[in-house]
Amino acid sequence: MIKHLKIIDYAITSLFRRKYKSMAIITAFTVVVAALASILLFSGSLKREAAYVLGSAPDLIIQRIVGGRHDLIPLDYAEKILKIPGIGEVNPRYWGYYYDPLTEANYTVQGTDGNAETLQLLEGRLPAGNTECAVGAGVAEIKKTGTGGELILVNSRNTGVLYEVVGVFSADSSLLTNDLIILPNETVIDFFGYPPGKATDVAVQVYNKHELQTVATKVKKLLPDSRPITKTELVRTYEMVFNWRSGMMLSVFSAALIAFCILAWDKATGISADEKQEIGILKAIGWDTSEVLALKFWEGLILSLTSFLLGTIAGFIHVFIFHSFFLAPVIKGWSVVFPDFHLTPYLDPYLVFTLGSLTIIPYVASTVIPAWKTAITDPDTIMRG
Amino acid sequence: MTGKAYIRTENLRKVYNSGKPDEMTALQNVSVEIDRGLMTVLKGPSGSGKTSLLSTIGCMSRPTEGRVLVDGKDVVKLPERFLTDIRRKKFGFIFQQFHLIRNLSVLDNILLPLYPTDIKPVEMKKRALAILNKLAIAGKEKLLVKNLSGGEQQRVAIARALINDPHVIIADEPTAHLDKKLAAEFMQILAGLCHEGRTVVIATHDPFIYGHSLVGKTIALRDGQLEKEL
Repeated sequence: MIKHLKIIDYAITSLFRRKYKSMAIITAFTVVVAALASILLFSGSLKREAAYVLGSAPDLIIQRIVGGRHDLIPLDYAEKILKIPGIGEVNPRYWGYYYDPLTEANYTVQGTDGNAETLQLLEGRLPAGNTECAVGAGVAEIKKTGTGGELILVNSRNTGVLYEVVGVFSADSSLLTNDLIILPNETVIDFFGYPPGKATDVAVQVYNKHELQTVATKVKKLLPDSRPITKTELVRTYEMVFNWRSGMMLSVFSAALIAFCILAWDKATGISADEKQEIGILKAIGWDTSEVLALKFWEGLILSLTSFLLGTIAGFIHVFIFHSFFLAPVIKGWSVVFPDFHLTPYLDPYLVFTLGSLTIIPYVASTVIPAWKTAITDPDTIMRG
Repeated sequence: MTGKAYIRTENLRKVYNSGKPDEMTALQNVSVEIDRGLMTVLKGPSGSGKTSLLSTIGCMSRPTEGRVLVDGKDVVKLPERFLTDIRRKKFGFIFQQFHLIRNLSVLDNILLPLYPTDIKPVEMKKRALAILNKLAIAGKEKLLVKNLSGGEQQRVAIARALINDPHVIIADEPTAHLDKKLAAEFMQILAGLCHEGRTVVIATHDPFIYGHSLVGKTIALRDGQLEKEL
């Protein structure tokens, strides 16, 4: 034990002895880890938020398709769907998108029948009257309003309508509520000028979740102009989008990764004359091969672990405190038309483990392997160069 | 063969780059004895095989053929970890270029052989300071080696060689970078070590050393072969 503590002590001394080289490696390594951590934390958090959103989504959404495009769905479709065995609940939904040219942002205007159980209100209540609304935090921020404040929107008749803000949403996921404006169902119908007897789509709850696909098939058969979307399909779509975006970012950062790999390869294929000389000296004065390797292992581990921790912390700060100012425009993509939303800080242990494995292990290996090649040589041969 | 021999070589042959175009035979059929408690000098011109013989008997390289017996035990076929153990416990090396780690402190350089042992740091430091006192360089333990004079660096190299309390001190061209005064001081230090009962082996082509009155035995090499033994 004492022996290993002394070897660690010597490894730390050695790193300080080569402080400029050590600092250069830590800096380069930290930047690479921070970039990787940012991408993984960002896409991981987006996926987590999306999963949260989808967790409260209905089992099945039924849309009506006309000319290949989403159209309003007649309310009698809901009655027909309700008759399919296995279906628990069918609710017509009223919603639409509202573009605000003043703030150049898109909001989601959603109707409520007074029951929005998946949404947590930070303050206030859900709207009850036709001049009341509740808004997401992003909307409140961008429109500079809050509970007790006002919100003016222009309806489909090009008439400005004043709403009183009676509540502001705080969901675990800001992705869920950030761009949301909640109005009573009747107000949404009036606001968008929807014809009577029609809804935007229909939300369906199914008793047996394993039967979702079967129920979807039955709906499609019963209503040929409908498009049933299962929750599974939604999850898959979200994941594909986020995986694609993070994959794209990883491609962008592949240049940094390649540079780092070259550095690691350079270390793996040879060590400097000074380092060889030092290994020769250590061997000559009585260090065993395993002790030299332990020294190099600790040197590599201390450097890479330091860089990994710094890089991960930097990535975390970048994503969750500075709101990914480097990555956001590329990875979020569609957020340019949404009100800006902030991710909930979350560090996935699996992600940390993956990142650690991808960075620490290759670096330690690239430190130990060339040292091993030298350390198994006679000290006399090493010192002769 | 006498019973006094601490190290003995038998028909030693050492070939570098064997089988390659630049193959070079450094030692050929060399049988010598290094006596216990005596100062032995290996002399000869450059390329005569002194350093090769020194590193072979010091277990720093293996001969191509022949045997090396240290304290009666053939070490040639021993696995590497046993050779390391012998180097650590029995030998102290003083190299021609000193081979100190230049940007490490005097104390840390001296302590290097003790790092991979279970000796406590306090004990290590106590030992090192005692040796520094003995070699008259006390008070310089915190200085970086690169800031020392040549003579001081050599004393640090000697201190490092002594920290493990070895039976044998092996020195390769130890006066190559020293003036006559420092060389004389160095010989006095080695004489003191011999008086303590340690065996000293020096490879040199410096007439000041091999002509020195303190030298007990001289082995002359030429072209990798034993020329004479005095």
